Amino acid sequence: MASLRRSLDRLYLAAGALAGLCLIAIGILVLLSIVTRLLGIYVAGLTDYAGYAMAASSFLALAYTFGCGGHIRVELVLAKFTGRRRRWAELWCLAVGTFLAGYLAWFSVKMVRVSHMLGDVSESADATPLWIPQTAMAVGAVLLAVALADRLISVALGAPLDGGVEAQAAHPEDVVGE
Amino acid sequence: MDQLLLTLIFLGVLFFLLGSGVWVGLSLLGVALVGMELFTSRPVGDAMATTIWTASSSWTLTALPLFIWMGEILFRTRLSEDLFTGLAPWLGGLPGRLLHVNIAGCAIFAAISGSSAATVATVGKMAIPELRRRGYPERMIIGTLAGAGTLGLLIPPSIILIVYGVTVNESIASLFMAGVLPGIMLAFLFMAYIVLHALLRPEGMPPRGEVFGFVQKLRNSVYLLPVVLLIIAVLGSIYAGIATATEAAVLGVTGSLILSALQRSLTRASFVASLMGALRTSCMIALILAGADFLSLAMGFTGLPRNLAAWIAGLELTPLALIAALTVFYIVLGCFLDGISAVVLTMAVVEPMVRQAGIDMLWFGIFLVIVVEMAQITPPVGFNLFVLQGMTGHQILYIARAALPMFFIMALAVVLVVAFPEIATWLPAQMRAGPPA
Repeated sequence: MASLRRSLDRLYLAAGALAGLCLIAIGILVLLSIVTRLLGIYVAGLTDYAGYAMAASSFLALAYTFGCGGHIRVELVLAKFTGRRRRWAELWCLAVGTFLAGYLAWFSVKMVRVSHMLGDVSESADATPLWIPQTAMAVGAVLLAVALADRLISVALGAPLDGGVEAQAAHPEDVVGE
Repeated sequence: MDQLLLTLIFLGVLFFLLGSGVWVGLSLLGVALVGMELFTSRPVGDAMATTIWTASSSWTLTALPLFIWMGEILFRTRLSEDLFTGLAPWLGGLPGRLLHVNIAGCAIFAAISGSSAATVATVGKMAIPELRRRGYPERMIIGTLAGAGTLGLLIPPSIILIVYGVTVNESIASLFMAGVLPGIMLAFLFMAYIVLHALLRPEGMPPRGEVFGFVQKLRNSVYLLPVVLLIIAVLGSIYAGIATATEAAVLGVTGSLILSALQRSLTRASFVASLMGALRTSCMIALILAGADFLSLAMGFTGLPRNLAAWIAGLELTPLALIAALTVFYIVLGCFLDGISAVVLTMAVVEPMVRQAGIDMLWFGIFLVIVVEMAQITPPVGFNLFVLQGMTGHQILYIARAALPMFFIMALAVVLVVAFPEIATWLPAQMRAGPPA
């Protein structure tokens, strides 16, 4: 069990790290597009690649952000509950969340398969086969669904719940980006 | 299907999912799913996946994580000290003295940061302890900081204006320029309030500290130079039409990294912390946007926004009455939701309504930001309040009471922007009149 726990956490973190690299890649691609434009060179698809990196960065970070408590939710009602009720409320959220994330994951994977089958390519000059960048979205969505299901099982088995609203105010660094 | 019933089902599912604590982005996904399943025969899941893919991989959206990253880098530099050192000598002579540092500091930092919480946190990090040490009234320190922090969203770059621009398909560069004058106006209104307060109640104010000579003032201003250069690089390049919002954001990130390196605050640890911090925030927003994109698609199929817009048009409300109603609506909504969720959640319905009424979408964006900002300092949900709670240890309600005068000043700003729309629309018009990009 403990080793499964460790490898799942590592998986989320690895995807998060990859997402971080994608964010750096966005910066580099945009910088390249500025430099090439100033030099008068035209490189096909730089802006499209930046868009793909954007999607990859957003989706690959989903599970990692969830693990850090980074996705916002309305805690007004949740914070009023304590003890068993709080746990049931949390289980409800996690169950609905797992279903919805699973739904997103299912159809993201299907989209990649369809793109691959039909040989869809990007409409602009780069003509990238779309299934390649779309894979990042599918992987990220699947990981989010896994992370939610993982948390659902943990909470059902009695894992401690987070602090709720109080935790939100804990440290300015945590909310600084909002 | 009966429109009223349809609306009630949508709202019912929405409030239940959001209210029970399901994550905002997933809630939007869920509402859209219910709507599509009930009211169309299209293959829902496939439409969802392609819609979300198209929206998430857009080039315009890349400005979002970059500007967030820039703020995260600058938050980890010595910038807050520099702002205080550079501004204090100039402002110490005004009635209200160093309280003005809160306003001016926030206004300046807002011009390189896209979020109000980052603005509050960066300026407050230095200003709160310094002002406390000098004996300024606690309520004024906290109130002015909470209010002025909202400038982070209004003065460009602005995360929420990017989100708005992407949602309603308006030029982000123009939106940014539209925010400049209202932001400066709001800063001056805050400062006027401090002056008035100090003149009416001089007994609470500490005596004037060190008086600086002119040369000393100038020497201290050198500390402001890096910030000013960054502002010129980011906003100047947008205004001059030589860079898009995304390109300006990259210039900003590069500049911030250089600044951070020159100040020796750039370490491996601080770099990774800023990167991952930016990643979490932009991922959170991306999930909400993904849900909202699917929701817009679903709404389009139900015809609800169209009918609602037609209904509103049938009421023959004046634009003024519509704006008044929307102001109240967003302030109430903002009591429960953060600004970004409130904007993306409602745009699918509000946009046709506003366009139908013939209201300029650039102007509406600025109006929306001010109103949503007011919600940032009202309890129970207000991110500026959360940040200040973390920094000062005061209760949310104490902070909200301290910020109440700022709430009314912002209401005054809304009235002014409604009465004189040119405050928002003049500058972007100048920009477009310039040479083509």
